[in-house]
Amino acid sequence: MATKERKYSLTKDAFNRLIANKLAMIGLIVVALLILIALIGPFITPYDFLSQDLMSRNQPPTSLHWFGTDDLGRDVLSRVIYGARTAVLVAFSVTILSFIIGTVLGSLAGYLGGKFDSFVSWLIDITMSIPSLLLVIVINVSLKPTLVNWMDAQFMATHDEFWRNTIWVDFAIVFGSLALIKWPKAARIIRGQILSIRNKNYVMAAKAIGVPTSRILTAYVIPNAIGPIIVSFSATLGEAMVLESSFSFLGVGVRPPIPSWGNMISDGLRVWQLYPHVLAAPALVLAIATIAFSFLGDGLNDALNPRQWK
Amino acid sequence: METLLEVKNLETRFKVRSGYVYAVNGVSFSLGKAEMLGVVGESGCGKSVTMMSLIKLLPPAAQITNGSVKLDGVELTKLSKKDLNAVRGSKVGMIYQDPMTSLNPFLKIGLQLSEGLVYHKGMSMADALKRSAAYLDMVGISNSAHRLNEYPHQLSGGMRQRVMIAMALLSEPGLVIADEPTTALDVTIQAQIVELVKELRKELNTSIIWITHDLSLLAGMVDRIMVMYGGAIVEEAVRGEIYKDPRHPYTIGLLNSIPRLSADTGKRLSTIGGAPPNLFMKPTGCPFAPRCRFRMDRCEKELPVLETVPGAAPDSGHRIACWADVRDNK
Repeated sequence: MATKERKYSLTKDAFNRLIANKLAMIGLIVVALLILIALIGPFITPYDFLSQDLMSRNQPPTSLHWFGTDDLGRDVLSRVIYGARTAVLVAFSVTILSFIIGTVLGSLAGYLGGKFDSFVSWLIDITMSIPSLLLVIVINVSLKPTLVNWMDAQFMATHDEFWRNTIWVDFAIVFGSLALIKWPKAARIIRGQILSIRNKNYVMAAKAIGVPTSRILTAYVIPNAIGPIIVSFSATLGEAMVLESSFSFLGVGVRPPIPSWGNMISDGLRVWQLYPHVLAAPALVLAIATIAFSFLGDGLNDALNPRQWK
Repeated sequence: METLLEVKNLETRFKVRSGYVYAVNGVSFSLGKAEMLGVVGESGCGKSVTMMSLIKLLPPAAQITNGSVKLDGVELTKLSKKDLNAVRGSKVGMIYQDPMTSLNPFLKIGLQLSEGLVYHKGMSMADALKRSAAYLDMVGISNSAHRLNEYPHQLSGGMRQRVMIAMALLSEPGLVIADEPTTALDVTIQAQIVELVKELRKELNTSIIWITHDLSLLAGMVDRIMVMYGGAIVEEAVRGEIYKDPRHPYTIGLLNSIPRLSADTGKRLSTIGGAPPNLFMKPTGCPFAPRCRFRMDRCEKELPVLETVPGAAPDSGHRIACWADVRDNK
């Protein structure tokens, strides 16, 4: 043939398909931007997220305060940017944590089968049957004050500055409790994937020509399983972000004064009829971020599937 | 003829919640070098499980409880997992029923073909790819060098089955097991694949076991035919003998139910009444007895033994497992 052979590689093809998908690209750009903002947040905020200016409270958006100010005269833009840090941190920690638990339990259950599988399935069912809202509230309400009080006591006893900073306790408990309600979904998807692919004809065919088990896992099972897992990972990022906001909104998530879109929405809700911008800014940003993650997830799903070829 | 494969009294069962399903109950047969054997029977008669048991390509619930499988003098049932893998990769080739799902959608054709060669023949990837291209040519895939770089979904069903055949033959195995390789294909492609296998067999001198439920397909192809029912062999003979002088009521039923162009119009096609036996218990009598029109009291009490047919043509190797003599009232 005169034409040059086209070389194909899975990752390159997938990338090309992702690029060609407009919605996915929008999603990717927004997500990338969000992560970038979260990373360089402190360098680009026009004001400190805590500094109050009581002379200019509840101001509508101006050239000085692009998103206006809230009821304490704090710059809403700066707080939204710091909120992005919280959101991205929580989303990634929760998702990675729940996928680590989900992958270990789910893949072992799918691969080993038998009693271990029954046990994991039982654990998944139990966890999923507990209302997630209730679980998170119980964990936060019971653990957080206990831990914070204990740390205060340590500080009184030792006067070590380490015990005074309780913010990370706050975050750790939020991560943990959210991962606790998110892992069953990850485990279930991974288990199902492993189960269905283990019995696929091409795995049998590979066994029939004597391909070793390790190679079967890496070249046959995992690539075929990974698509739905990546999609679910991407969706979980968005969901974890919404969950964090919901719980912060309810006052059991990240506590003020650390800005989270959830507690900003909660603050804004009290005054929304008078000063809608205080509510609109965090709510809009949250909505855009969530939609972006779901666009990206759909795009990845199509891109990673070689049968979607054009 | 030199013997390649010798199977004796093979038994395989599946563990299920309420006990066991006895899928293969004491199957014994042998296969000569370069011989082609057709295995016929309806779904669930144990024909695939028997052949998969040979190289232990079975789901985890299955266990081989008895019997011996000798390939080229090597006892396969006692091999370690590693040695068995080597046998699978170099001495036995498999062709599966559904070419659409038998290739990994994430691996290029070339990589997938070469895998067995790289792992079991110690070939370099480049050599393995070269050889894969040669075999693709041989199974009639044009532009083979280019095809190596394509993914399975870029090929049609017939082409994929050709790729599967190439994959089975690549390591030059002495034995190829073809598990209903044409069932998922339409009739014209089916005819092409049958022709291809016949040619390749002449060329490569490979023994082939061809599993099917279509007796008419085997007519112009195999040397010997084995009819299975209820996890056991019920009749076995050289090809011509089975069509000319079938002795087991089940074989007769199968042959009668092949639709014929010359048959009277307006008549119903003949069928075998009843349903295949459930195998939750080891059959104590003839498994076909409930559906058999030659049934006698003895059939339900005593398991028939596979024995040489009295008065069979010499060299026909004609054996049946049946107490009745169907010649009187065919």
